[in-house]
Amino acid sequence: MAKQIITLTVNGDEHEIAVAPYQTLLEVLRDDLALTGTKRGCTAGSCGVCTVNGEKGEAVLSCCALAVEWDGRSLTTVEGVQEGNDLHPVQQKFLEYGAVQCGFCTPGLIMSAKALLDVNTSPSEKDINEAMAGAICRCTGHIKVKIAIREAAKVLREREGGVADGQA
Amino acid sequence: MQLPEFEYLRPKTLAEGLAALAEHGPDATIMSGGSDLLINMKFRLDTPKYLVSFNAVQEMKAIEPQADGGLSLGAGCTLTQLAESEVLAEKYPALHQALFSVGSKHVRNAATLGGNICLDTRCWYTNQSENWRETRDGCFKTDNELCHVIKSADKCHAINSSDSAPVLIVLDASVTLASVNGTRDVPVSEFYNNDGVDHTVMRQGEILVGVTLPPPKGRSVYAKLAQRDGLDFASGTFAAGIVGSNEKPESVCLVMGSVGPEPKVLADSAAIIKASGLNEESIETAALAARASLGEVTNLFTPSGYKRRLVKALVKDALGELRDLQV
Repeated sequence: MAKQIITLTVNGDEHEIAVAPYQTLLEVLRDDLALTGTKRGCTAGSCGVCTVNGEKGEAVLSCCALAVEWDGRSLTTVEGVQEGNDLHPVQQKFLEYGAVQCGFCTPGLIMSAKALLDVNTSPSEKDINEAMAGAICRCTGHIKVKIAIREAAKVLREREGGVADGQA
Repeated sequence: MQLPEFEYLRPKTLAEGLAALAEHGPDATIMSGGSDLLINMKFRLDTPKYLVSFNAVQEMKAIEPQADGGLSLGAGCTLTQLAESEVLAEKYPALHQALFSVGSKHVRNAATLGGNICLDTRCWYTNQSENWRETRDGCFKTDNELCHVIKSADKCHAINSSDSAPVLIVLDASVTLASVNGTRDVPVSEFYNNDGVDHTVMRQGEILVGVTLPPPKGRSVYAKLAQRDGLDFASGTFAAGIVGSNEKPESVCLVMGSVGPEPKVLADSAAIIKASGLNEESIETAALAARASLGEVTNLFTPSGYKRRLVKALVKDALGELRDLQV
């Protein structure tokens, strides 16, 4: 099975990698690029721990995507979320509000939350539930996760220039 | 789980893709979003020699309003793209709702309309890992003449879980199938077979390229019950459409999904509503008739008794919603 060279931009860094057609994006990120922040969970599209963000910031299940399909495209993993030396507001608020227990699902939750907040900084309860339905935490439940997302949304709204409008 | 080995083909045009399908025949499998197929491949339910990805074929990704007031949808449209389509939400809210109910946001970002319509049938005994399956004999779906669900069955009873199929039938939609030999249009009501193995009328070398929706008529609703709203395949789905008033309907179409290998058109229940109008009494009678008309209910994923009660409740709730729906 011939490998093919793909160009993949991850967190702003361009990589040329030889991949077999049956390698998933998850396998390439973890095994070829050593970006092990993205976790391998069910590998069947149910748990969401392998979530990365695509070109438009959308949530992508890297276990159910072929690496060859990502030739010439770019994506963001949890390693690329922080802003310089500072944590991204989503990461910071997960930390502050204890939205982490064992931490295994956290990269997937962060990337799923970021996919939402990148396009909607005033998410309703329903928006949050919909965006997070595909990313599952099995130890702590989602209450603190949702609080952290609402608080992160507040920070992002303030950053957009407006004052927090009290929706969150 | 890792994927089996395969050769990957990525045609840039539909013509190129059709030629690849014709060349490789039964050795080729069509992939679009891959959200279901790749998992089945990890389970070794599908081990194609050639995987033909249609994701680069731009001509299959358009949402085009038609001159007659209808809408044409490319099979390659992702479910997120369709969920964000204002024209779809406005003109065909029940279909919009059905597509939006598929999987999670993560899944909808990859999954396509064509993939949802052609979604392979599923069964508790088959959609498991290879090791799990090896603990018992194979079945119609794999390599044996046997059904683990209904021992006396002479065919596969795997469930058709397509969320879009029931509502597409209610909307009188048709699909366009293309091959190197040309294209043909098939009404969605005639697209499925009552057989879990060979569950659509698609022939070798054909691909579903698009869906045509006629101009919207009357009112329609969609209802779905799943163990978890966010992610699971449906335990039951129901689509209902009515043209005319509640008192004197001109036509009624009721379709149940996720109860067998094909969407089940509830003709008896529809006849009750058409004859007596849509009111509390007829809704109750129609819901009972829906339950009775299920016949052989396979105990897949949920016990059959539960499924019978579910069907009655789902039909009753959705018809109540339809009655109160303003055009």
